[in-house]
Amino acid sequence: MRIYRTVILFLAVIFTVVTVGCSGTMSPASKPKATLEVIPAEIFLSPALIKSPVSFKGAGFKANEMVSVEMVVPKGMEIKGVGKDEDAVGLAFGTADKEGCFSAAMGPTATLNWFFQVGWTPLLTPDFKQAKPLPPGLYQINATGMDSGIIAGSNLKIVPPPKQPQK
Amino acid sequence: MKARSLNIFSVFAGLCLTLALFQVTAAKEVSYLSLADYTGPIAGLNVPADMGLSDFIKEVNEKGGVDGIKINFIGIDTRYDVARAVSAYKRYRRTAKLLMVNSISTPIGKALAGLIEKDQRAQIVPGDGEYQAHVQRTFLWGPAYQDALAATFDWILEDWKAKGNTGAPVVGYLSWDNAYGREHLRGGQEYAQKIGIKLLPPEFFPPGTLKHDVYLTRLAEGGANYIHAGGVDPTPTNVIRDAYSLGLTKKIQFTTDYWGPTELGLGVHAEALEGVVITSFFQRGEDAKANSFVTDMWKRNRGSMEKFNEVYGMGVSWGITFVEGLKASVKAAGFEKLEGDDMYKAYQTLKGLDKKGIQGPCAYSDKSRRGSLEVKIYRITKGKALPISDWRTAPDAVSLHKF
Repeated sequence: MRIYRTVILFLAVIFTVVTVGCSGTMSPASKPKATLEVIPAEIFLSPALIKSPVSFKGAGFKANEMVSVEMVVPKGMEIKGVGKDEDAVGLAFGTADKEGCFSAAMGPTATLNWFFQVGWTPLLTPDFKQAKPLPPGLYQINATGMDSGIIAGSNLKIVPPPKQPQK
Repeated sequence: MKARSLNIFSVFAGLCLTLALFQVTAAKEVSYLSLADYTGPIAGLNVPADMGLSDFIKEVNEKGGVDGIKINFIGIDTRYDVARAVSAYKRYRRTAKLLMVNSISTPIGKALAGLIEKDQRAQIVPGDGEYQAHVQRTFLWGPAYQDALAATFDWILEDWKAKGNTGAPVVGYLSWDNAYGREHLRGGQEYAQKIGIKLLPPEFFPPGTLKHDVYLTRLAEGGANYIHAGGVDPTPTNVIRDAYSLGLTKKIQFTTDYWGPTELGLGVHAEALEGVVITSFFQRGEDAKANSFVTDMWKRNRGSMEKFNEVYGMGVSWGITFVEGLKASVKAAGFEKLEGDDMYKAYQTLKGLDKKGIQGPCAYSDKSRRGSLEVKIYRITKGKALPISDWRTAPDAVSLHKF
């Protein structure tokens, strides 16, 4: 009888420790959710994006970890160079600071390859004749901590380019 | 009752047999990840290189693999984009028995080096001397870039003297404005100073530059006797095409590195490239076409030699190294326990491995990350890349630089 009491007491202690432990690590109230900001959140595709690229700011990642920023490939959409079995394409990457914050910007190659889907000439220059720009729409963007697996999500809206004034 | 028991026993025995057969026939497989460029700016060279590698792997698999282990080749088209490569590595890093990653560019290799360390596996990269200076899990395909530049400087000095000149030659350097373009000078610059070559302030230009006249004119006005043109073909071809148009190739000797003119550039600008010197760690031009191990593999898998590019041989060499590494790692760890770390350890035991004449013997060891130590000097003559030296050991320029 005494043994049962000891076992029950032991299990109760374990349960309490685990519950308290979990509440400290898993409760959203005690640990803020990772965040991602896409800057700007709305764009239209133009060559200006090469000089002023889309950038990303995030927080809530593990200190000093690499963060990969990806665009989720919408179902049915084909992106040049991306396999049909792949669900995302990398846009940028950065390293989180001591506070778990990171910032990253798209390189010119990323903008040309994944937004414009250009071809490349034998001269190593982008070939806009072969370009297949992403259609307007709302795209899911995810930032993932490479060590922690923490994911933060946001959106990028691509709108049609403004109409040129008629001459 | 007896019959019922027999039936149950039969079903149970059948299940056991099926499970046992499944265990026996379950594919023993390891993976190789190529973070490549198949449709981007350097696709012209990367596609034939990965053709060589995948053909080699295919033939090994067709012969039953390595001790029954098949190799799964995963080729990812990064289009030469680092962010895409990082994302692709994230996707594949948990692949069971992923033993090797090939990063096609210096910036991709640098971005992934930290993750490769954390994941305790190995990667191979083009020629970043940093990994020889600080020995890690990143291995080079051949000698470090700075070693090759030093070998080019040695040749320049020989050529200068052979032409009856006295004093020191003046050398210009121009290349891409990125980690690759600058890597050669991290030790190469110190070597030039050591042997008395006057190196002009280097010129850097963005990949994709259409005309190189400004940079070339500045180097010519600086008194260059030789100009070393970096970049991955067709960039060096285009630089020399511009130099030819400016009339500079008549008075200045042009040299290039590993990624200098291949069949790709020669097919378009043979006249402009005449006389250009290439320093390479793998067989080029006519040398490559004379290597029957490589050309037979091409013919078996690709047919006519019409579209053969010498970079194919470099891919075959990656395959030779990987297969020997796999043999050594399986011998040490066995298949069941095999991990990336075992391959990393195995690569360090490959010193002296014969690469079928494609490049010098493997130089990997616990202290060396160089894929080989030798380079060969080639000259474009009548539209063909012909060797003008035998294999020669490239100087250690890495040790001259503080990393």
